[in-house]
Amino acid sequence: MHHDKKVTEIHHDKKFSVVNPSKMCQPMGAVQALLGLKNSMPLIHGSQGCSTYMRFQLTRHFREPIEVASTSMNEKTVIYGGEYNLMKALKNITEKQSPSIIAVASSCLTETIGDDMAGIIRKFEDANPDKELPVIVPISTPSYTESHVEGYNRTIKALVENLTTLTAPNGKVNIITGFLSPADVGEVKEILNDLNLEGIILTDTSENLDAPLSESALNLYDGGTTVGQLEDTANSLGTIALSKHADSAGEFLEKKFGIKLISGPLPLGLENTDSFIRSACQLADLEIPENIEKDRGRLMDAMVDAHSYNYHRKMAIFGDPDFVSSMTRFTSEMGMIPTVVCTGAKSKRFTEDIETISKEKECSPVTLAGGDLYDMHEAIKKVGADILIGNSYGASIADEENIPLFRAGFPIFDRLGAQRISTLGYRGGIDFVDRLTNTILDFYYDEAGYEIVEEEDMIIEDQKFAEEEI
Amino acid sequence: MPYKLFDVSKPIPERKEHTYVKHCNDPEDCIPKCNSKTIPGSMTERGCAFAGAKGVITGAIKDVAHVVHSPIGCTMYGYGSKRYPTTTELPDGSEFPVKDFNIKYIIGTDLQESDVVFGGMKKLRQAVRETNKEFPFVNAIYLYATCTTGLIGDDMDAAAKEMEEEIGKPVIAFNAPGFAGSTQSKGHQIGNDTLFAKIVGTTEPPATTPYDINFIGEYNIDGDLWLLKEYFNEIGINILSTFTGDCCHNELGWMHRAKLSVVRCQRSSTYIAKMIEEKYGVPYIKTDFFSTEYCAENLRTVAKFFGLEDKAEEVIAKRMAKVGPELDFYREKLTGKKVFIFSGGPKSYHLSIPLHNELGLETTGVSSMFEHEDGFEKMKDRVKEGALVIDDPNTLELEELIEDYDIDLILGGVKEKYLVHKLGIPSLLIHSYENGPYMGFEGFLNLARDMYSAIYNPVWNILEFQETEDPDVADVTGEAAEEVEK
Ligand code: SF4
Ligand code: SF4
Repeated sequence: MHHDKKVTEIHHDKKFSVVNPSKMCQPMGAVQALLGLKNSMPLIHGSQGCSTYMRFQLTRHFREPIEVASTSMNEKTVIYGGEYNLMKALKNITEKQSPSIIAVASSCLTETIGDDMAGIIRKFEDANPDKELPVIVPISTPSYTESHVEGYNRTIKALVENLTTLTAPNGKVNIITGFLSPADVGEVKEILNDLNLEGIILTDTSENLDAPLSESALNLYDGGTTVGQLEDTANSLGTIALSKHADSAGEFLEKKFGIKLISGPLPLGLENTDSFIRSACQLADLEIPENIEKDRGRLMDAMVDAHSYNYHRKMAIFGDPDFVSSMTRFTSEMGMIPTVVCTGAKSKRFTEDIETISKEKECSPVTLAGGDLYDMHEAIKKVGADILIGNSYGASIADEENIPLFRAGFPIFDRLGAQRISTLGYRGGIDFVDRLTNTILDFYYDEAGYEIVEEEDMIIEDQKFAEEEI
Repeated sequence: MPYKLFDVSKPIPERKEHTYVKHCNDPEDCIPKCNSKTIPGSMTERGCAFAGAKGVITGAIKDVAHVVHSPIGCTMYGYGSKRYPTTTELPDGSEFPVKDFNIKYIIGTDLQESDVVFGGMKKLRQAVRETNKEFPFVNAIYLYATCTTGLIGDDMDAAAKEMEEEIGKPVIAFNAPGFAGSTQSKGHQIGNDTLFAKIVGTTEPPATTPYDINFIGEYNIDGDLWLLKEYFNEIGINILSTFTGDCCHNELGWMHRAKLSVVRCQRSSTYIAKMIEEKYGVPYIKTDFFSTEYCAENLRTVAKFFGLEDKAEEVIAKRMAKVGPELDFYREKLTGKKVFIFSGGPKSYHLSIPLHNELGLETTGVSSMFEHEDGFEKMKDRVKEGALVIDDPNTLELEELIEDYDIDLILGGVKEKYLVHKLGIPSLLIHSYENGPYMGFEGFLNLARDMYSAIYNPVWNILEFQETEDPDVADVTGEAAEEVEK
């Protein structure tokens, strides 16, 4: 394949190591998914460093309090196995926080020592017959396979598999979101609302991770997906997985209960949002309402207005696979030229998506699936980019290449408002087109509105880190 | 009873021993239980030994490549997470090609299942080769064990030795897997031990002076080091080696040539100062540069060692003239405000007295994630009776504390900051700073300014929705609002 050749060229024969990764570990994906559950507590079964690191990353991104419990394994418990620590942690969390659900994600450590989490959980439940216990769900998330994207997928699957029960049809549609900003989840809910369609959002971070200053005590999340909703997933009209990489729960529901699954694409950009609206209407047999058509028209209007500024710009895009592929499509729709696209996860679906888009849009970006930011930087040096889209880890690359970084994805720790970055649907698309084009105007045009032709000294603000003493 | 069990911690009675309410001045009697195994499920904020070794100790070194032998997570989370700026200057006058190389690059072995089953040694060796090829300019390569590699038993030292011979530059293994010890503190110690055993005494400085010091445990958070260095330079004291802020690999090798070791962060690095004293006879002193008083006092002590007292007085006088008047303004504004210090370790005893003596604040309590007995003794010693001294607190306890105690400001970390804000209380990042540096004279002024601006943020006065258009009903932060009305 044309692209594959480029990929190997770019890889520098760096086969054994990763330099500046563009992916995280499975338990992080689990926590990302669990933050959208009501009255829940994520517990990572492993050494405490993992959960502290994850909390740190999530907190500095959302600028919201994030709680993740740990079983705090140490040298001794590593030798004897984690039963004591897991039982103790379950007891402490149950009594102290009384959540309705505790989801226990394994870590590399406990996977390597081979702890039987399901067995230990059963033992805990058997030992406490008269107590009102939370629902406890084990999730196997070893990080030495795949990435946080798969961790997210496995978590949704474990929740659904463990909890769903067939009762009566509910006329709802299950939406597996994948890890989105709260604003994007909110937009998906708005679209469903516009369609007059009720959804079960797996999982709903829209309130939990963009909470108001209330001056009142914070307990566990009181927004988000409920245990009842998880149970109800088997009774829905169908499942739409916005992330193709997080559709295993949908596959499970399809196989076991015949609930139709539509997998992807992420409704980012005009065509992808069209697909999503089509899927939803199809599942529920609905007409497209007028206000949605109007929003679509506004997005087209925004794209047309922006075109003269951005049509020839080269884009480099990195992040989670669904985000990158749909962003590649969206920017191509805008007449921009994707030159480098990079995701940390090794994913066939991703490469296929990029191939389809490349054919349709007649572009041929250097495609890095399973790539790291170092490879991406090398590729940018070779093929060039006028703007980089991705998380804060791209800042030093943008700085070095003297191009702007448009921040989207996770983590964003050097700017505010990560929870409010909105890109999905027609309305999110409008927001994106405006902000991206304004970034281009800020960077490549002078105050009189003329394109700056010569190289100018651009000063990009130094990365500022919020960080922890760890 | 000098110990307290928070209501939220009632189901975990063990937490009581970790929460001491000061009732006497005997340092031997009653301090919280600390540096012990973390209680599972207690919502600890503690980190792991790997984080202590790489994140705190070695992550500040500017000219080495860090290779984390781990599944993807540990590598990723250790990437760019510390605010340890570095320059490109090297002591021999040459330039290192990348600024902030230590922040910008992390390398990992991205272990896969087959590596876990069959061992990751081959991959580690290849990763070192590749690192050396991609970053030929680094002066050493450091390797880090993590939980997984600690468990599968990869012999990191053997790999380091072998690769060092092959590539012809130092390769050093740090065996601090996350499960070692009870907090990140274990990683600090392993970092010290390893650097001492493998590097100290292996190189010679380009030049020496009779006024050479090792500046130990100063990591240059937000530029602290650069500020303190100015003072030393003006006094005529030469920092021969810094452990490890903005330092280079070779610099650590000649620490045995200094005349004196000045220990700044006592928790994380007294180890190496002691070892250098024992083996090479270089004496050490423990110091503290937070606040004008401590900074002046400690500059005097260090200067006295070299007979440079007069110079020190000049530097102190010059700086005090510069910051004094502004500090007076902040003292007036901050007097009587109550602060809780939720720090990782030593800042909980560095700050309580200066905040009181120089800015008029009262310390309601202090806490630490990873201090040991000696640190807690100092914490206890430096707060008033009735103040809380807590080991390994969690956010639930913090919430209760905010409700039950009168607190105007929390000095904490990023994991606390946003929780505290939701509750309507100002908070300031004390681990990594807001607009630092915070050490030294100008740094203390930065801290005072940041505290003032956090407490007097105008938003605190308009939190309540006004039912009527009566302008002077707003009274949220109490005193802050009174202040406004006056
Ligand atoms: S050990 Fe595994 S779970 Fe923990 S941080 Fe490392 S990769 Fe993630
Ligand atoms: S796996 Fe171990 S070394 Fe890695 S982050 Fe977790 S506790 Fe630390």
